[in-house]
Amino acid sequence: MPSFNRRSFLQLGLGVTVLGAVGCSPAKPAAQKQDSRTFTIYWNAGHSYDTYQQVFDQFGKDHDLQINWQKFQWPDLTTKLTADFRSGNVPDLVEEVSAGTGTQYGLAGHVLALDEFAAADKEFGFPGDYLDQAVVARQYEGKTYSIPLHLTANGLLFYNKAMIETPPATWDEFLEAAKGATKDKVFGCSLNSDPSYAAPYYNQQGVSFSDVAAKQFMQPADAALKTMQFLQDLVYTHKVSPAPVATTDYSGPQKLFSANRAAMFVSGPWDIGPIRQGSPDLDLGVAVPLTGAVQSAAMAGSGLMIPAKAKDPKLSWELITRLGAVQTELAATKEAGMSMPRKSWAADPAVAADPNLAVIAKSLAVVAKQDIALSASGKAAQIQELWKKAYQQMIIQHAPVGPTLDDFRKQAEAAL
Amino acid sequence: VIRRRQAITAWLFLTPAVLFFALLFFLPIGNQLLTGGYDSAGTSFVGFGNFTRAFGDPEILHSFLITLGYAAGTLIVGTAVGLGLAVILNQSLRGRTLFRSVLLIPYLTSVSIIGLLWRNILDPQVGILNRLLEAIDLPGQTWLSTHPLATIVGITVWSSAGYTMVLFLAGLQGIPGLYYEAARIDGAGPWRRFVSITLPLLAPTTLFVSIIGLISTLQQFALPYIVTGGGPGNATSLYAHRLFLVAFNDNDFGYASALSVLLLIVVLILSLAQLRIGDRTDA
Repeated sequence: MPSFNRRSFLQLGLGVTVLGAVGCSPAKPAAQKQDSRTFTIYWNAGHSYDTYQQVFDQFGKDHDLQINWQKFQWPDLTTKLTADFRSGNVPDLVEEVSAGTGTQYGLAGHVLALDEFAAADKEFGFPGDYLDQAVVARQYEGKTYSIPLHLTANGLLFYNKAMIETPPATWDEFLEAAKGATKDKVFGCSLNSDPSYAAPYYNQQGVSFSDVAAKQFMQPADAALKTMQFLQDLVYTHKVSPAPVATTDYSGPQKLFSANRAAMFVSGPWDIGPIRQGSPDLDLGVAVPLTGAVQSAAMAGSGLMIPAKAKDPKLSWELITRLGAVQTELAATKEAGMSMPRKSWAADPAVAADPNLAVIAKSLAVVAKQDIALSASGKAAQIQELWKKAYQQMIIQHAPVGPTLDDFRKQAEAAL
Repeated sequence: VIRRRQAITAWLFLTPAVLFFALLFFLPIGNQLLTGGYDSAGTSFVGFGNFTRAFGDPEILHSFLITLGYAAGTLIVGTAVGLGLAVILNQSLRGRTLFRSVLLIPYLTSVSIIGLLWRNILDPQVGILNRLLEAIDLPGQTWLSTHPLATIVGITVWSSAGYTMVLFLAGLQGIPGLYYEAARIDGAGPWRRFVSITLPLLAPTTLFVSIIGLISTLQQFALPYIVTGGGPGNATSLYAHRLFLVAFNDNDFGYASALSVLLLIVVLILSLAQLRIGDRTDA
């Protein structure tokens, strides 16, 4: 049996201490440890189409890269990205949740302005071949911080043709149709717990969510009150919509619709695929946005950003050009029914002949202008969270509309 | 000389553990404390500004109050349910080993799965529970909207009851049968035996359960995040969820760090108070 003296104890202790210190020392950021041949992409789980998988596979093969395609729900992607920006351990390409997010990150120095890449790559056709609204919403003071991947309109009216013969065009018709379709276990319509789905409605009353220059929110106030009261009444007065359930998931109305428990709901093209796949027998109708004081929809659609500390921004740009190529856009549309931002996509005969895509194209023409200054203020996420609270209080908890809106305005103005 | 050698030996053996805690616990806490002294941009030192700001922030006060409500509800109901199950399964019942194992499954299941499971069960429109209630002609529930916090308490109790039960079972099995026998001879009924023997002798277990439960409930984040997203409104935005929003939504890591240090202080105070109460009870 070996004998231990003081020296051997000291040696042992020192050895264990060093091992412990090495083992416990903060881990090096994964990206630095990762093989430089690994290319990391953050993506929304709902957009993980086979089309994109094929693009990534080919890209990896062409450059001898291992593609690390990480998929998240939007809130988780945002959380991960925020943490990554702080640690400096960033992915090589990121899908942007919506127009303006890239601007917010770009102004903080976290993502690159892409104008120089685009200018040097005439063949890609940015911004010339892109619909203006998708580009303008991503620009601030002459710089573009993301390239549009999808361009959609939130405000399309989804209806079940077996329950609604003629789609309503105005708010009054919508209410009447909802009342007519509401029966024992079927609701005439279904509201979403996600507050961004209220945007088409308040846009249709000419309400602007924010005017940062004037430090105002949800104005004009009387029109905002009318909108939110209308939505609240759908649930509690007319009882034509169930009160939505507060979750981080925005697919509640679509699921209810697919289960033949709701006759109508307002959403965007991303719900066409799940309905077709989940309920192939359902006679789906998609109509243009409703008309309140005006006909309007809210712009939606993700983009692509390159983190400022990405390993090789040129390589990231090359992948953007592949993902944004019109052939990729057409393939993704064919696969998932998603609408795209290129003018050449809209002009393609396959798109022009599709009745649902024609409706989307009409809707894109009436999307309301976004207040770019809100994203640039860096307070957009904080104010959206305040709006979420107010919206859920009004629609789920039946809080009085006027005071709740006033409260939201005060809090949002203070946050700004 | 021998004593000195023994001391050195002891310190040498302790060093890895001390280093482990210093690097992985105390260093991050110190870093947190330091970050808490900076503004949202992380550039200007604001002293205790972030700490004092928390006391005047209505959202933080709201989240703290509902967290206390959540902790109280979970501890009281959870302890009662865990103890009840332990008492039942401490009897010589047929299949009790199976029941004990089955009751422990929710505790061993990931909180994400539990959250998604209950969110789907409780959904008023497409959830299984309302389908069942409908089938037996009972009105449907909308608890996620009408009683969101109580629902989160219920889910927590459901998921942790098995663990609490195991702790109480261990405590129950440590009570000598002799005491019960003596009490029975003296004419004490089951309730009297439970109140006068079981409960007092389970006091250390109860204290342990309540301290562990308090610490975990005050830090609860995942369940409301998954089940309700902190809503409706801010009804289930518990303290840790609010802290998360301050950090990752408002991008104010200085304030979020200060809030996390305040939570640590509250947990320490409440845990110490519980230990003091426990000491007095023992005395």
